[in-house]
Amino acid sequence: MGLEIDRERIPGFDVEGKDADGMDKGILTLSVGPQHPGSGHFRLIVKVDGDIIVEALPDPGYVHRGEEKMCEYRNYIQNIPHLERPMIADSCGILYPYVLAVEEICNIPVPERAKYIRVIMAELNRCIFELYWLGIYGIFLGHSTMFMWPMADRELLIDLAEMASGARVTHAYFVPGGVRNDVPDAFPEKAKRHLLYFRNRLKEYKDIFYDNPLFQARTVGVGILRREDAINLGATGPVLRASGVEHDIRKVEPYDVYDELDFKVITMNEGDSFARAYVPWLEMYESVEIALQALERMPSGPVRTKLGPNPKGAVGEVFKRVEAARGELAYYLVSDGNPKPYRVKLSVPSFREIPVMAHLLKGAKLADMPSIYWSMNYWPVEADR
Amino acid sequence: MGSVSGMLRALASGSKHLAVKRFTLRYPEQKLKFVGDGYQFDPKEGVGIAGYRGRHILYHDKCTGCQLCSIACEGIAEAISMVKVDKQYKQNKKGIMPQIDYGKCVFCGLCVDACPFYALFMTDDYELAAYTKEHLIYTPDQLAVKPKYQGTYEIKIDELGAYHDE
Repeated sequence: MGLEIDRERIPGFDVEGKDADGMDKGILTLSVGPQHPGSGHFRLIVKVDGDIIVEALPDPGYVHRGEEKMCEYRNYIQNIPHLERPMIADSCGILYPYVLAVEEICNIPVPERAKYIRVIMAELNRCIFELYWLGIYGIFLGHSTMFMWPMADRELLIDLAEMASGARVTHAYFVPGGVRNDVPDAFPEKAKRHLLYFRNRLKEYKDIFYDNPLFQARTVGVGILRREDAINLGATGPVLRASGVEHDIRKVEPYDVYDELDFKVITMNEGDSFARAYVPWLEMYESVEIALQALERMPSGPVRTKLGPNPKGAVGEVFKRVEAARGELAYYLVSDGNPKPYRVKLSVPSFREIPVMAHLLKGAKLADMPSIYWSMNYWPVEADR
Repeated sequence: MGSVSGMLRALASGSKHLAVKRFTLRYPEQKLKFVGDGYQFDPKEGVGIAGYRGRHILYHDKCTGCQLCSIACEGIAEAISMVKVDKQYKQNKKGIMPQIDYGKCVFCGLCVDACPFYALFMTDDYELAAYTKEHLIYTPDQLAVKPKYQGTYEIKIDELGAYHDE
């Protein structure tokens, strides 16, 4: 036949010998992302042999904003709005350790009622994030009902968050010394109504999604992360707990009033994509439970300690971590006695899932990539900060 | 569970929603109801009053031109700049008041927290779309106008499910 393809000129398609990276012949290099569909603002360089992924190289950094450096030029209060930006769907979760750290370094007392309000808002935000993530997971596995339902039910909780804080996302609600404003009088009653209805709705997710044979066929036994690998690779959050490790900062290092509330740490032993999708669903029940308990026990009183215009930190350093919706989120804050922090370091859960992702994708089928990638709870904007 | 019964249960679970009321809010015919008149701040107590954080409202008879809102915004969005106003107020010797660029504002409300004279609050108005960037800049006179936002719809929950209703 006359048609000959000049294979030398097709990048990544060398049939003879080895390519520049020393990979065998016939290995095809694909770039998943950094365009938005499929991966978020994140590139995954995947090398496939036929249908099997032989190597996956995560390439983060497309949405780096320099949050840590920005912190050094703003005072402790001005840092609040921009620190929420890496993770707008869980804005209370990402702000929580910062607020705790500033309180410790500036020695600011927190009223008891504010602690309860913070716990309620953090749990609402955990559900808001997990529903958002679940919707995306559903649509990427081709289940569009599972996109619509969480997005609609999320609205119930966003309504509550808006009632308390005044904004639907990026609440900017936590401040050093408590919360910005007290919740309205009608909030506890409305919150109970919405949370109880939401808990009933969660049961329906099981029927249409988790018990669905089509969903199970794509996730059960796919991307199994063993317990020791999860620990050695530094996985965190639902990914770690889906591999059978009972580790939750809310239990290990309780902050605010989590030690007074009664809740379980959800674990599963399978460690596959199904378990990683199922653990957040079970955790949403616990979040509702925590929020209801906190609403019940919330005392009356002030919600915010009055601060001077520019609170100054003592000379020193502080490390605070909380359990955000995606896992352990920590701030390391150094102060040199000025109203502005000397150094702020964020340790975000998404970044810690990158080695796990590379480990799990190796040897998986290319068609299983979405189900593994999205089960990681990975958020590129947060990972790049 | 068998795959046939699993599929049937999934189908039944979805089909039930044919009888359930629509959850969607039909914006702009229907608009959400908010708590209060918007976010406010009490500088004496040092604590905010819950409300929606929409467009600001500026009380000309209280603003002293102290620039604290503008200073608070410097590290956040740099949306507030102080401009000269034509009318003279006796508490405002310099005759300057904030002008807010809603192309930059992130609606965090920290400028409201910074105001010690009850002059700058926020309102329920979130419908700020404009045809040009210049129209997003609100002068002190525009900020003094009380918005006419009327939302009446709330989420109702009953045995039919959750839906938006008056």
